[in-house]
Amino acid sequence: MMEKLTVDAEGKIVIPPEVIQKRGLHPGDELTLVESAEGLLVYQGGVDEKTLAWWNRLDDRQRLLAEDYALRDENLSEHEQDASWNQEAESIEIEAESDELDLPTN
Amino acid sequence: MTSSTFQPTSVLLDKGVIRRVYERRVRLALAKPPTVLQVEAANSYAHIATIANRLYITEQTANILKRRTEIFAAPILADTRALKKARYLRRWARRLTDFAFSSEDAIVLAYGSFGLDVESKTVGVDAIITTDIRLAEHYERRHGEIKHRFDDMIVNLPETYAVLRLPQVLTTAAILAMV
Repeated sequence: MMEKLTVDAEGKIVIPPEVIQKRGLHPGDELTLVESAEGLLVYQGGVDEKTLAWWNRLDDRQRLLAEDYALRDENLSEHEQDASWNQEAESIEIEAESDELDLPTN
Repeated sequence: MTSSTFQPTSVLLDKGVIRRVYERRVRLALAKPPTVLQVEAANSYAHIATIANRLYITEQTANILKRRTEIFAAPILADTRALKKARYLRRWARRLTDFAFSSEDAIVLAYGSFGLDVESKTVGVDAIITTDIRLAEHYERRHGEIKHRFDDMIVNLPETYAVLRLPQVLTTAAILAMV
C-alpha cells in the first residue's frame, strides 16, 4: 500500500486513521524516517515477523549460542565479511557450461 | 506498480538480500540495532514470504549459506530452494553483459529466466528482488532492448524453451513501498 502524506507548515505529517489502525500505532510510538536513494521511507520499529519467529523458536541455550556466534561474526573485518559472501562466484564462460541441465520435456 | 498488481508466484532473492536478512538476525542476537539495508531486506523478505509460493536463491548463495553459522543460515536455507542452471543460462548471461551488466549481475538476471527448479520442474521466476538500486534501474532502463535480444535468442532454441520469460527486477525498497 502506498499513501501520500502532506507536510504542513510546521513540518508535521498526518498518518491516515486506517493505516494507524492496520499497523497498531499508538500516540507516542516512534517511527523512523529514512532518506534512501528511492526517497523518504517511513519504518515502524520492531522486528519483522520472520526474524521474530526465528528468534522465538530458539531456547535460552540456543540464544546464548547465537550471541556467541554473532559476536564472532561481527568481529570479522568488513573485508573478511565481503570475502565470505563473495566465494564461489559463478562463471559465465562457455567452459563452465557442463553443469547446465536440459529442461524437462513434459 | 502496486501491491494489487504485484502478486508473484516465484521470487529469486539475490545474494545481497539474503546477506542482509542473515545479518539482521546476527544483530538481533547481539541486541544491536540493525542497519537500514538490513531492515529493508528483512522486512521485504517477510512480506515476500507471505505472497509468493516459492522463494529461490542461486546455487552460489546456497553454497555460501551452507558455510555460514548454522543457527542463522539453516532457517533461510529451509525457507528457500536453490535454482539449478538450465542449459543456455550462461549464454544468456554473456549476452546480458553486452548491456553493461557485470558478470555477477548478468548471471543473477539469467537465473531469473533460466533458473531451474528440479523439484517442481519449473523454469524462471516472476521477479528478482535485489538490494542493488543501480541494477534494478539499469534493467528497467534497458528493458526494451533486453526483451528484443531475449526473444531473438529464445526463438532459436529448442521448443521447450519457448515458455521462458524475463523476470521483473525490484528493489527491497520498492517491495516495502507496496506493503
